[in-house]
Amino acid sequence: MKIVAPIRQLDEIAALARAGADELYCGVTPREWAERFGGASANRRPGGNLPSLAALAEAVALAHRNGVQLSLVLNAQQYSVEQIEFALAIAHRYVDMGGDAVIASDPGLLLALAEAEPELRIHVSSVATCRNADGARLYRELGARRLILPRDITLDEAAEIAAAVPDLEIEAFVLNDGCVYEEGSCNTLHLPGALGGPICLDRYAYAHRHRDGRPLSAALAARLQENDEAYRRWLWYRFSCGFTTTADGLPFGPCGLCAIPAFGRGGIHALKIAGREGPPERKLASVRMVRRILDAHDNGEAPAAVMARARNLRPAHEHCATGFMCYYPEVVSRASEAAQPLCDGRAAGAQ
Amino acid sequence: MSAPLGFLRRPSAPASASVAASTASPPSLAALPATGVAIAVAMVRPRALERLGADTPARAAFWSATLHDEALAAWLAPLRPTRLHVGSEFCERLLPEPAQLARTLAEASVAGLEVCLRTPVASPEVLRALDALFALLPPGAEVVVNDWGVALRLRERHPLLQAVAGRILCRMLKDPRLGNPQYAPPAAHGFASPWTRRLLARLGIARVEIDLPLFASADSFAGVPLPLGVHLPFAFVAKGRMCRTAGLAREGPERFAARPFCHHECLGLAARTERTRDGTHDAWETLHVGNTVFCRHSAANLATLASAVAAGRVARLIVPGETL
Repeated sequence: MKIVAPIRQLDEIAALARAGADELYCGVTPREWAERFGGASANRRPGGNLPSLAALAEAVALAHRNGVQLSLVLNAQQYSVEQIEFALAIAHRYVDMGGDAVIASDPGLLLALAEAEPELRIHVSSVATCRNADGARLYRELGARRLILPRDITLDEAAEIAAAVPDLEIEAFVLNDGCVYEEGSCNTLHLPGALGGPICLDRYAYAHRHRDGRPLSAALAARLQENDEAYRRWLWYRFSCGFTTTADGLPFGPCGLCAIPAFGRGGIHALKIAGREGPPERKLASVRMVRRILDAHDNGEAPAAVMARARNLRPAHEHCATGFMCYYPEVVSRASEAAQPLCDGRAAGAQ
Repeated sequence: MSAPLGFLRRPSAPASASVAASTASPPSLAALPATGVAIAVAMVRPRALERLGADTPARAAFWSATLHDEALAAWLAPLRPTRLHVGSEFCERLLPEPAQLARTLAEASVAGLEVCLRTPVASPEVLRALDALFALLPPGAEVVVNDWGVALRLRERHPLLQAVAGRILCRMLKDPRLGNPQYAPPAAHGFASPWTRRLLARLGIARVEIDLPLFASADSFAGVPLPLGVHLPFAFVAKGRMCRTAGLAREGPERFAARPFCHHECLGLAARTERTRDGTHDAWETLHVGNTVFCRHSAANLATLASAVAAGRVARLIVPGETL
């Protein structure tokens, strides 16, 4: 399995490659795009992009010199005709630079790219929210070479898709950043923090009610209150435990490291580290974490030992045990059901 | 909202007609009677369908009780619904069981309603469940697809059914926190591109559905290549696979996980939501039902829709027949 990591500036490339990334991905917002369409419309991450096509060309060259591939993200949920034409022009330039793949979501752009640049690898973004084999097969027929699964998918579903469409590479989330709503079904912007930030982190008060107008009973109101509190706890985990790290700088937050053995069995081709807009140190620590666990798996370590090693990376067993920090919490459920002690560092030989 | 949203502002002045159309006072609903448009009633769990075939005053009462908007109820009431959209485009847990769908088909037939099955973003398990439901539908029946994989499956395995592109496939910005059209990046339906049209044709899609943009104008209805259905009076803002409400039904690691489990609590519960951060407020009423956030369109937006209906640009109105 390959490790895929994000960049937003050139000086991250060599460090991430040395740390063990196999592929990198980045966005770009050329000045002309911002002038015509606004800065928020290129790829949903206004603060996480390279500033120019010149910088993109330099990034491609740097990535290749460091032995890694670089994919270009053009994954807004939807582009206008004018934006698709502009995106095609960017893609032409990117091909001339020797770029490796474009990550896209809008089906119109996917078709346009496949027609205009048939040799260019197309990776279907997680924003496309494709979580079944028929959808994967359609994207393959349209010219895609890889499908990046959405966050909200189960390990069994991922494996089923991978098995059903073997000529389409499958990439799955492994670390960092958790949307609450499905990326492809969230029609909002990540506003500046003072204005609310992402809508799922905005401060909304909930006034629960019966849809038929009946008043809530005291018991139901109490259950709803408890559920809201549990949801807020889950939300804290979903957003990187309040965007905290260990003392060594290892990020907490959405994680699929325990699932790496299952990914291996399930035919997953690549592991995605999210967080283009994050600081360089976070990306570097993330790549090192995934590389360490993936190497253990690749070296033939038993699945239980790999999982224990993953859990022992961060002194946060209590976080892991909640399952709220997991992209694939069924791993925790299954482990609990099997009553297997997964946190025994001695069994894994973990540090 | 000024400086912090500068990154959203379109540098070149937006087409003045679009903004003007959304900020000027449009005619009221009462001045634009709904004629020449079909009306579909959307229900997750259809019941008491005879109410839909009643006379205009009874329908006005039904819509008023369901939508809590007297002007809208009066506007809709003269239209006798001809279609029933069943199921849910938002949640895989709300697919009807085959027996439920069979019962609905029979009841709808008695009520003189054609049935259209709404389908969600589909997991592999949902795809398998859909096969059993599609087999119950009569030839020519419509299926609203919100997943390109479902559209392909329909085309390949159930070619006698008619695919309709649903509003989840119609991606557009609908952030209820953006109260000024100048700060709203272009929000269009996206069905106009020649590439998307080719995809629709390839999949045999014959109709499309959209939500209204939050700042709708006459332009919002332009360029749709197929007969257009428009949802009202709510736009869906965001939906998850994770469901906050379903957390009531489970404990443990998967309480808010993707692997779905619930007791359909959302059929009985909803929440009015309101921002509590100082200096912020939503320009639209927002609701949270199950895994989905909705916002209610303004009267001005509905009047813009009424103008489009009067101009013959909308083939079908799709209105929830259950209170959100």
